[in-house]
Parts: sequence; C-alpha cells; structure tokens
Amino acid sequence: MKLKRRFIFLATVLSMFVLLMSVTGAAAAEKKYKIATVVKVDGIAWFDRMRVGVDEYAKETGHDLWMVGPAKTDAAEQVQIIEDLIAQGVDALCIVPFSVEAVEPVLKKARDAGIVVISHEASTQENVDLIIEAFDNHAYGANIMKDLGKNMGGKGGYICTVGSLTSKSQNEWIDGAVAYQKENFPDMYEVTSRIETYDDATIDYQKIKEALVAYKDLKGICGGPMPTSAGAGLAIEERNLQGKVFFTGTGLPSIAGQYLKSGAIQTIQFWDPAIAGKVMNKIAIAFLDGKKEEIKDGANLGFPGFESIKQDTEKKNLFYGAGWVVVTKDNVDEYNF
Amino acid sequence: MDKILRKNEFWLFCILLLMAFIVGGSNDAFWSRTNLFSLFKSSVVMGIFALGVLLVIVSGGIDISFPAFAVFSFYITVKYLLYIKFTGPVVIPFAMSMAIGTLLGLMNAFLISTFKLIPLIVTLGTGSAVTGFLRAFVGTGTLSNLPQPLIDFSRWNIYTETLSDGSVIGFSGSFLILIALSLAVAFVLRRTTLGRGVYAMGGDLTAAVRAGLPVPKLYYFTYGLVGALAGTAGIVHCSLIRLANPRDLEGAEMEVIAAVVLGGASLTGGKGTVSGTILGVFLIVLIKGSLILVGIPTDWQKVAIGVVLITATALTAYRSSKGGR
Repeated sequence: MKLKRRFIFLATVLSMFVLLMSVTGAAAAEKKYKIATVVKVDGIAWFDRMRVGVDEYAKETGHDLWMVGPAKTDAAEQVQIIEDLIAQGVDALCIVPFSVEAVEPVLKKARDAGIVVISHEASTQENVDLIIEAFDNHAYGANIMKDLGKNMGGKGGYICTVGSLTSKSQNEWIDGAVAYQKENFPDMYEVTSRIETYDDATIDYQKIKEALVAYKDLKGICGGPMPTSAGAGLAIEERNLQGKVFFTGTGLPSIAGQYLKSGAIQTIQFWDPAIAGKVMNKIAIAFLDGKKEEIKDGANLGFPGFESIKQDTEKKNLFYGAGWVVVTKDNVDEYNF
Repeated sequence: MDKILRKNEFWLFCILLLMAFIVGGSNDAFWSRTNLFSLFKSSVVMGIFALGVLLVIVSGGIDISFPAFAVFSFYITVKYLLYIKFTGPVVIPFAMSMAIGTLLGLMNAFLISTFKLIPLIVTLGTGSAVTGFLRAFVGTGTLSNLPQPLIDFSRWNIYTETLSDGSVIGFSGSFLILIALSLAVAFVLRRTTLGRGVYAMGGDLTAAVRAGLPVPKLYYFTYGLVGALAGTAGIVHCSLIRLANPRDLEGAEMEVIAAVVLGGASLTGGKGTVSGTILGVFLIVLIKGSLILVGIPTDWQKVAIGVVLITATALTAYRSSKGGR
C-alpha cells in the first residue's frame, strides 16, 4: 500500500516535470529556429568567409544558425551530413551542393520531414523550397567582359578559362562574357576554345604562358575560376606584359591582391560568400515564419546586391541577386579574404 | 644490363625529338626561346619529385606520400617564416622544408622496415595522415604574401632577354637546382655503396639480406632521401607559383610515377636511371605543355596525353625487350 502511494506521488511529480519541460521547450522553439548551412567543403577561404556571415547573422537574429561541410569535396560525405542533420531535427537547411544531382534524394527526404530547404549555386535543384543565386550567371560574365573590353580598348584576341568544361556555372559565365563581347566589342575575338585549368593556379599559369606563345595576338584573359587570377598575374608580371595583356575575371583579394597592386591585372570580381550565407538564412527564417510570399520578384532582402531580387522567368522558385563585387587596386585592401 | 638501359634512353630521346619536331612542325612558335625556357621551368618541380620516386622504385618500393609531404613541408616553412617575418637568405627556407621532408620520409622508413609493411599501404596512410594533420592543426588558407627571399627566388633568372615588343623572357635559375640534384642522385646511385645497395635490394630483397646488406639502413636512406627531395620540390613549387596553397599538388604522384616508368624504371625494382627519368619528365612536360600550341581542342587534350603516354611506354618497353634477347 505504502509502496503504491509512493509510486503515485513519484509519477505525479514526474509527469508534472515532463509537462513543464515540454511547455518551456515549445516556448523556446517558437522563438529560436535551428538552421544548418551545409557547404561543399569546409576549411577553404571561401567557406570560411561564409561561416563569418552565418555566425554574424546568428548573433543578429538570436536563432541557432551554424555552418558545416565535409573535410574534402565529396558528394557522398555531404549527403551523409544532411542525413545526420535530418535525424537531429533541424528546422531548415541552407545548402551549397557539391553535386546538385547527388543531393536530390536526401533533400526530398528532408522536405518530406517538414524541413525548409534553401539552396545556393544550384539553379537546377528540384527538391527545394527556394533557390537563391548571387546573380544571373550570364550577367556576371557580361560584367567581366565589360571591364576586359574596356581595358583592351575593344580590340584584339582573348582567351577564356574554366575550372572544368563540365562546371555549369563557370561555363555560363563565359557564355555570358562571349555574348557580351559579340554584341559590344565586335573587334574582339576568342583566339581558341575555352581552356580547362582544374582550379589549380599552376595549371592556369602554364596554360596562359603557352597561349601567349601560341597566339601572338592575345591581349586579354577572361578568367572563370578563381586561381586564374593568380596564374594570369604571374604570367603577365614575369614577362613584363603589364599594359599589353589584360586580365579580368573571378578572383579573391587574398590570392590576387599582390598582382592587383603591382598592376599586372586590373580587376577581379567575386561575390561575398558571407552575404550569400546571410541571405540564405534570412530566406529560411522567412519561410519558417510563414512569410514566404514576401520573397518575390523585386523584393529587397536588405543586403548589398540583394536590394531587388529577380525571379527566374521559367522556374518560379529561382531568384537572383546582383551580388557581385568588383575589386581594383584602389579597394583591394577593404577585403581580408 | 647496362646496354639495354642505354638503349632504352636512346629510344626515349628519339621519341622526345620526334615529339618536338611534330609540335614544332605544326607551330614554329614551339622553337621560340620563350616557349623552351618556359618548358624547362615547368619541368623543375616534377623533375625533383621524379628523382625521389626513381630512388624508391629502384629499391623495389613505391611512394605515393611525397606530394603530401611536399605540401606539409613548404606550408609549415612558409607559415613559420611569415610568423617570424623572415628576411634572411633563401637557403634557410630550403633547408627547413628539406629537413621537414626528411623527417617525414624517415617516418615512412621506420614503419616499413620495423613492421615489414608494404610501402604502398604505408605511404598511402602517412600521406593521408599528414594532409589531415596539416589541415586540422596548421591551416587551410592559401598564403599569397610569401617571404621576400622566396619571391626573389621565383624571379631569379640566369639569362634574361628583352624581346622587340618590350616583353621580357628569362631562363629560370631554378633549373640549376634540378641539374645539381640530378647529378647528386646519379652519383649516389652509381658510385656509392649505399646506391648499389639500393639496386641490390630492389633486384632481390632476399638475396640482399643473405648477402649481408644493411637492409634497414637502406630503407632509412631511401625514404629519407625521398622525403628530402619532396621537401625541396615543395618549396620550389610554392616559390615559383608564389602561393602556399595546402591543396596544391594533389594527385601529382600518378604523373610523376608515370614519368619515372616512362623513363625506363621497372616497377618491380632494381632497374632505372637518372638520365632516363629526366627524359621521361621532359617528355611528359613537353606533351602537356604543347597541346594549345598544336591546337588540340580542350576536350581532346586528355585523350592526346593518354595516347602519347601509352605509345611512348609501349615503344620503349618493346625496344628494351628486344634488346634483352
């Protein structure tokens, strides 16, 4: 008898405790979302910078936001990380996929579990609530060509580099650049088909040196991948070709800064991954707050380059910013990545 | 034996000349000093690596950890020298990188000789472990503001010329390092007891042990030297490209091993020469550095490299098998 009474007492206390916990737990969840940003690979300058953005935004909003990524670029490892996050029960996932196709099944699983999925650098993603790109790839390429054509005086031959011929976005940049050249600089021409450099500055350097030997009329280099900025800078500086051969393309101040300052290259262009990280998280929070209709054509997301986002004409959940940053030797010191 | 080897190199040299004439015939810019100087410079890093791989292949082993060791050595060297704001002679970074490489190489030797493990597995493991350690504890960022002595080294030319259009070409002084190291390794392999021991060990390990050769000592010697060469190649690479990027040189091992095998070294050990190896390196550098000149479309460049490599290896192998009869 005594034992039974004690048991009832214990059960009451326990159930009250559980009730209390669940009430406070629910209250906490209402004001704090758990959102993971999953990137291609952790530990490179690019995504270190994105982490800075995500962490800053977490402080600003008070939500539980963090960034993770595989130690090396590996599609399977990225999928595994997303699986783990689904099991942990996050509210939203912001993803920069290494391979768009490889993550489709696991993103479907996430969405089936009620998780909001926002992606970046993945314009063809299917299983996703919304895709936000820093810019329209063709417009980004056109902007590279605008500077290159201006520096070359609208005349002469040029080459284009891509990390790989299968890299979708880089090839779209170059498509945009070439289209802009045809329209605006009729006296310029591509001397050879686009050159593959495997995102390796050494290969960029060697290929550009070779192209300079092979094509005497080569005056411009239009760089798709980031390392081309360093390879081109070295090739130009070493042969004292400043002012005769020009480079414009994707590059980071930390890698191309020395060549911008020495005058070997004129402009580099990139988009700030910190802002991309913030924008993705902001959209995810809007979706979780039930305000997804606010993310529409022309909406101002309140970040540089995202003051008036553009909706894709065909794919209704695909949006673009105009988030590129152009860096010359005058403003290179403002960036530390 | 010596005769066959000499024959092998002779044929390799012929293939090299043939390739040069094919490329030069389709675009005479190939013969310009601008291009030739550039090709010599491109072969320095690969050449130094290849000397190390030659040693280890002659000893009957294999090493695939050397690119990781090279990166580890130059990255730590550069990071430390930047930290102390180093401005002294360029010998110091070279010595540091070489010393780090040597220590890592000795670690391979320790594992292989003490536990009698297969070199392929040991070096696969140490290479991966060293890369992981570097990224986890030292850093992952690319360092682009190298210490001034290394920048000066990358600008060091033993001959410069101003062309009519005002551009400048130079013959990189780094090539002297490749020449010096080639002579040193050739001397060690040919003229010293240690070097002959390495050949004997690669030819027949059991016989070498029975003949009383100091096999553990030979392991330490071989893998230590491979490490030292990797450290040197690493610092040269980082200086020449003016970046210390911890993700560089990934996958370089296959190309270097291909060059050494192309140069006549036998993967079963006991066979291989420095001159053959250097010719193998030149051939690969020439093929890779001439695809734009010949005008091969980007999509076909990999196919072209594969076809030329297989043809060249098949020709030298066929020649040497005929010579052996």
